Amino acid sequence: MLKRTEAWGGLLWLAVGMFVLKQGVDLGHGRINEPGAGFAFIWLGIIMMGLAAIVLVSAIREPGEALAQLWSGTRWPQVLAVIALLLGFGYFFETLGFVLCGTLLLLILMTLIDPVGLVRAIPIALIVPYGCWYVLSKGLKIQMPTGVLAPWLG
Amino acid sequence: MDIVSSLALGFSVALQPLNLLACFFGVFIGTLVGVLPGIGPISAMALLLPVTLSGSPEAGIIMMSGIYYGSMYGGSTTSILVNIPGEAASVVTTLDGHQMARQGRAGPALGMAALASFIAGTAAIFLLMLIAPTLSRFAVAFGPAEYFSLMLLGLTILAFMTQGSIAKALLMACFGIVLGLVGIDQITGQLRMTFDRRELVDGIGLVPVVMGLFGVAEILSNLEHKLKREIVSSRVGSLLPNRDDWRRSAAPIGRGTVLGFFLGILPGGGAVIAAFASYAMEKRLSKEPQRFGKGAIEGVAGPEAANNAAAGGAFIPLMTLGIPPNVVMALLLGAFIVHGLQPGPLMMTTNPKVFWGIIASMYIGNVMLLVLNMPLIGLWIQVLKVRYAILFPLILMFCVIGVFASSNAAFDVFVMTVFGLLGYLFRKFGYEPAPLVLAFVLGPMLENNFRKALAISQGDLMTFIQKPISATCLVLAAVALLAAILPGLSRQRATIAKDAS
Repeated sequence: MLKRTEAWGGLLWLAVGMFVLKQGVDLGHGRINEPGAGFAFIWLGIIMMGLAAIVLVSAIREPGEALAQLWSGTRWPQVLAVIALLLGFGYFFETLGFVLCGTLLLLILMTLIDPVGLVRAIPIALIVPYGCWYVLSKGLKIQMPTGVLAPWLG
Repeated sequence: MDIVSSLALGFSVALQPLNLLACFFGVFIGTLVGVLPGIGPISAMALLLPVTLSGSPEAGIIMMSGIYYGSMYGGSTTSILVNIPGEAASVVTTLDGHQMARQGRAGPALGMAALASFIAGTAAIFLLMLIAPTLSRFAVAFGPAEYFSLMLLGLTILAFMTQGSIAKALLMACFGIVLGLVGIDQITGQLRMTFDRRELVDGIGLVPVVMGLFGVAEILSNLEHKLKREIVSSRVGSLLPNRDDWRRSAAPIGRGTVLGFFLGILPGGGAVIAAFASYAMEKRLSKEPQRFGKGAIEGVAGPEAANNAAAGGAFIPLMTLGIPPNVVMALLLGAFIVHGLQPGPLMMTTNPKVFWGIIASMYIGNVMLLVLNMPLIGLWIQVLKVRYAILFPLILMFCVIGVFASSNAAFDVFVMTVFGLLGYLFRKFGYEPAPLVLAFVLGPMLENNFRKALAISQGDLMTFIQKPISATCLVLAAVALLAAILPGLSRQRATIAKDAS
């Protein structure tokens, strides 16, 4: 059964429901005429556990697709790479600055993830982040981090 | 103030140069994101929300509204020429619109889509203008119990309309409420689920959640397979429909407008359902139903009218009750709040310039859209020829810009990425993100009104049943839930939801 997507979904939601319930109990239920900060969490947690149980029961009745089937024949490494890139972008965003991070992000996406050729990738990766930074900072007065390029970008 | 003088006030606001520019920018961006598959009005509005902060509230809301109804126009272009819906509400236009294009009638199909959208969009604004003031006066009598029950009804209907298991849709709604409640409790001041993160004290931001669930998740899903687009290469030709096209389309446009408008008002309803309902109705009423799916112009005119009318109708619950009926309106509510405005029954009296300015701008925006869509078809075709491999990195970067600009916090880039991954997994496992986002926005209001209602009634739960409006909403919500469970109705729901998805 645990090879099936529905069963995994049900189990995960059951865990989430229990977690929400626990948080609600810690915060306090309060009284019915003065509900506490945890009141909504407690009831939402219980409802979520009930709904997760329904998903689990239907997974037992109709097992459905296997977990591995969801990704068979897909380009899942590209998906993982984009997520990793975005996490890296967030991590280095303030240190390296928007222009440098943006250039690297576009360059990697357009050369390694879904290649479009260097002739197109390089100009786009150089011009677009700088252009965006210029419009945002100078035109709309929205400050993006300049990072290591601060001496040049001001 | 009567409607004519109110509208005059609205036009005096909407015709100010900056507001006209905001309107033009909004409908242009809306058409563009409507044309481009892979980015819809939700991502575009979330992306541009921070940009509106530098202008007046009127300009910001006018631009955001323009993006929404503009995308309804643009979506049909892609549906007709590429057989891929530019955005969800145009799915049904692919059925006959693309067939018309294959038969060398792309011009009349595009023209009729734009004209039907214009007629329905304008009629919907007129109806909005007539109904909203009356409903506002009625809504002043709403108390916390009524608001709670109405929001609960909205969430239940949205869950009902969602494809797949209702249990999954309700799980998403519950999860959305939980996420919406993260942060400081407005009543007791306690911190809830912040895990000692300073960034979470004010709650999770709407923009990173929406950008992640809709923008990033859409890209991740598209990346799984190589996208192929086959644009109809034959000449588009004259855009003006002939006399026979008009004869066939007049009644479907009228019916689509009325149907779409009222489906747009319904909480949980919206443009997608309106378009499908209109198509089904036209097919049923037609003397030659066999023509549908083979290039019947009624199959373009009716749904296009319906989805545009629904976009207009959706403003009613937001502007008169302060309750967003769908995800797009939830984002618009976010825009109102960011500008320090609270849409609701009192808005018309406290902020008449904003209220009537938005309505007047919609008339102007619809004219702009007609002008944009008829002569600029060539430009949109060129836009469609841009490869997805070039588009998606740019969209991804704009997502990052939008998220950072909305809060000035790199933390939100992580939040967006996490929700992007969650959104991707939700799609994989058959969970729709729409109930989550609507619940995320409504969650704090829902809890607040629930607690207030209980405090006022001194803990008497019967208060929700003793008030007629509240009781009606709860009964309707219960009917929607029962309908999803009962076998016969459940099958019908599955068909509607499958069509709408």
